[in-house]
Amino acid sequence: MFEHFLGGLAVVMQPLNLLLLTSAVFIGFIGGALPGISGVILVVILLPVTYGMEPTTAFMVLTAIYGATVFSGLITAILYRAPGTPEAVMTAFDGYPMTQRGEAGKALGIGVLSSAIGGIVGTIALIIFTPILANMALKFSSPEYFALAVLGLTVVASLGGRLIFGLIGAALGLFIATIGIDPLTGTSRYTFGNLNLAEGVGLIPVIVGLFAVSEVMKRTLDHESHQPLTKVKVKIFDLPVLRQIGTTLSRSSIIGVIIGILPGIGASTAAMVSYSETVRWSKHPEKFGKGAPEGIAAPESANNAAAMGALVPLFALGIPGSGTTAVILGAFIMHGLQPGPMFMLTSSDLIYAVFAGLFIVNFMILLFSKPFIVLFTKLLNVPYSALGPIIIMCCIVGTYSVRNSMFDVWLMLGFGVMGYLLEKINFPMVSIILGLVLGPIAESELRRSLSMSQGSFDIFLDRPISATLLAVALVLLTATLVMPLIKRARRQTAS
Amino acid sequence: MPTHFPIKYAALGLALLGGATTAQASEDADAYPSKPIQFLVAAGAGGGTDNFARVVRPMFEEAVGGARITVINLPAASGALAHQRTANGEADGYTLDFASTTLITSLAAGQNPVGLDQLTPVARMQSDVMALFVNPERFEDFEAFKQYAEENPGEVTIGGTHTASPDHMAFLSLVDASGLDMNFIPYDSTGNATANVLGGNIDATTTSLSPLLSYIDAGQMAPILIFSDERLEDYPDTPTTVEYEWDLTDGNDRAVFVNADTPAPIVQRLEEAFKEVYDSEEYQSYAERVNLDYREGWMNGDEYRQRLENNFTLYSRLLENE
Repeated sequence: MFEHFLGGLAVVMQPLNLLLLTSAVFIGFIGGALPGISGVILVVILLPVTYGMEPTTAFMVLTAIYGATVFSGLITAILYRAPGTPEAVMTAFDGYPMTQRGEAGKALGIGVLSSAIGGIVGTIALIIFTPILANMALKFSSPEYFALAVLGLTVVASLGGRLIFGLIGAALGLFIATIGIDPLTGTSRYTFGNLNLAEGVGLIPVIVGLFAVSEVMKRTLDHESHQPLTKVKVKIFDLPVLRQIGTTLSRSSIIGVIIGILPGIGASTAAMVSYSETVRWSKHPEKFGKGAPEGIAAPESANNAAAMGALVPLFALGIPGSGTTAVILGAFIMHGLQPGPMFMLTSSDLIYAVFAGLFIVNFMILLFSKPFIVLFTKLLNVPYSALGPIIIMCCIVGTYSVRNSMFDVWLMLGFGVMGYLLEKINFPMVSIILGLVLGPIAESELRRSLSMSQGSFDIFLDRPISATLLAVALVLLTATLVMPLIKRARRQTAS
Repeated sequence: MPTHFPIKYAALGLALLGGATTAQASEDADAYPSKPIQFLVAAGAGGGTDNFARVVRPMFEEAVGGARITVINLPAASGALAHQRTANGEADGYTLDFASTTLITSLAAGQNPVGLDQLTPVARMQSDVMALFVNPERFEDFEAFKQYAEENPGEVTIGGTHTASPDHMAFLSLVDASGLDMNFIPYDSTGNATANVLGGNIDATTTSLSPLLSYIDAGQMAPILIFSDERLEDYPDTPTTVEYEWDLTDGNDRAVFVNADTPAPIVQRLEEAFKEVYDSEEYQSYAERVNLDYREGWMNGDEYRQRLENNFTLYSRLLENE
């Protein structure tokens, strides 16, 4: 395996390949940073360009773009609260408050470092485990996905703030996800006969509206045009910070890799689950959402690790773990290649060249992201009266381009207004996103599990992984709800 | 259920418009293309239908002697938006709708309001063969599978893509023809359904052949029943539905549609252009590369309309009985 990898590195180091790889990283940086332009769209746009290339080069370029977009979504999430990709939503929760405090440089540094570490851990896992883990991931079926989603959702109880708001938010997210034709029965739910709603409400209009648009509205309507900083110094290697986020980084990278490898879910879910677990295990859960460094480290290391992990089932089984990998699978077929069980044997040169390319890409992120980020931070000095409209423009173009739909643009603006109003009452947005992403997984996997078992709930207990996950969820939920009561009782007896 | 406007009225309308416009229309057909053409893809970017449209685009451009073509993906509502935009747009042959069998399955399920009264098929270019796939370690052949299903009614689980998808229709028609009592579990994608068969979580999947070739080669999946009238050369030992006297030969098709009011000479011009593309060496080598050469993909507009109408009746009945 090691000599295969070295052979791959030799291919990557050819001047032309290295040049193409660098350009791919920059294209990915730009696309990822623009709200709405996600990895999926970039890969689709550039797919025809790669037809003329050697398959090895083509897939190095496509996977490099993919890796770079997952990374660079964090830049606009931290600086303007406009997540560049769905994978970076969670990063905005703690990244943007840090920018408001004048700590943009620190936040970006944490983001870059976490992304690169997550990406490198993910790539190593990809290289070592592709042949082994892929088959284990197949044991993960509907009951396990259901249990995982439940585990993620229980964190609503630990989020801090008012529990009732958290529950309303999660329910609201779940409701939004309910809209559209139910894929399991074909029944239309809340579509009111409108074809635009039949496919459901996309994640991008909701995220861009709730976060980016609402923030522009807030700063414009509330005349909050103060510029908190003029000079941003991005420090990537900061020892005290590294000590603070070390545990979070290792835990989140591992969570990211595992979730990425599962064929059914992708990097956005990984970012969410690792954020949830970081909040849950933190000694100060109340600090999250207000600019906690761990709140950036967790989702960024997890989403990059998951992005690499999602390539494991793609290469080993031909099963895409996310939207972008599905497009990459299509690209393989167009090049006359069939990822799947035989692929590791028949095309090992190509695969190891792609692995080596991804390895290099993660170092390029460490190296090149700084000058790139500096460009974006310069924009902070532009008066908000000019910057705000530009952000809105990017949001509109980006959202439109996802499905070529003007309806989605109106939807996004609507969610912008909703986000603005919810902010006024300090509503925990994170719970809406949790409900929106994890809710439909829980719903459809519950129903699928019950069809598998002909209606018997025993299926969740008979299968060891789902039983364990559900038990953990139950214990943690009880603990978070009961602990404060015990503490209060103790205080009372003490006094 | 959408109203199914009889085609003869549309034909009558065209006939009434009559001779005066015919000369004009054939002139237009000679001048085609005189303005930019839009390919609307009734599916998301990166999938089979999208790849089909994007591969055909430069070949079509050559076949009509140069044109400016833009490809637009309209995946919303199983492609219904693409059909709607084609049906409501100008009937001049400059808006082409690239659609799969999902067009007719979603119509039968009442999810797509645009029917064959509003769209005219120009040509069918691909027909991927449907089959029943299992893990060969679990079931040796279809006889073993059938016996198990008969002995355990209601226990067998078969996966496929969403409800009213071509996969689901293949399942329903198999159940309808064979009388076996089995359950369908809809997944988000073919990949997820496949993963569950590989992992032993479900028993089988009904889907098209080409995406699963690598698993077949690796011996992890096997087609045990092929929806075809003749055995396929590559799978001489796998029985067909027709051998069991079940008349199920539908595949997952990819075809091109235009607005139903498009003048006949223009439809004909388009059909000829697509036929030229289909017969080209370049297209055939693409079809071979993506394994869509198991059976004849070409079907002209009239034949394909007949087939779609039959399928619509069958699918509507199957969905109603479910």
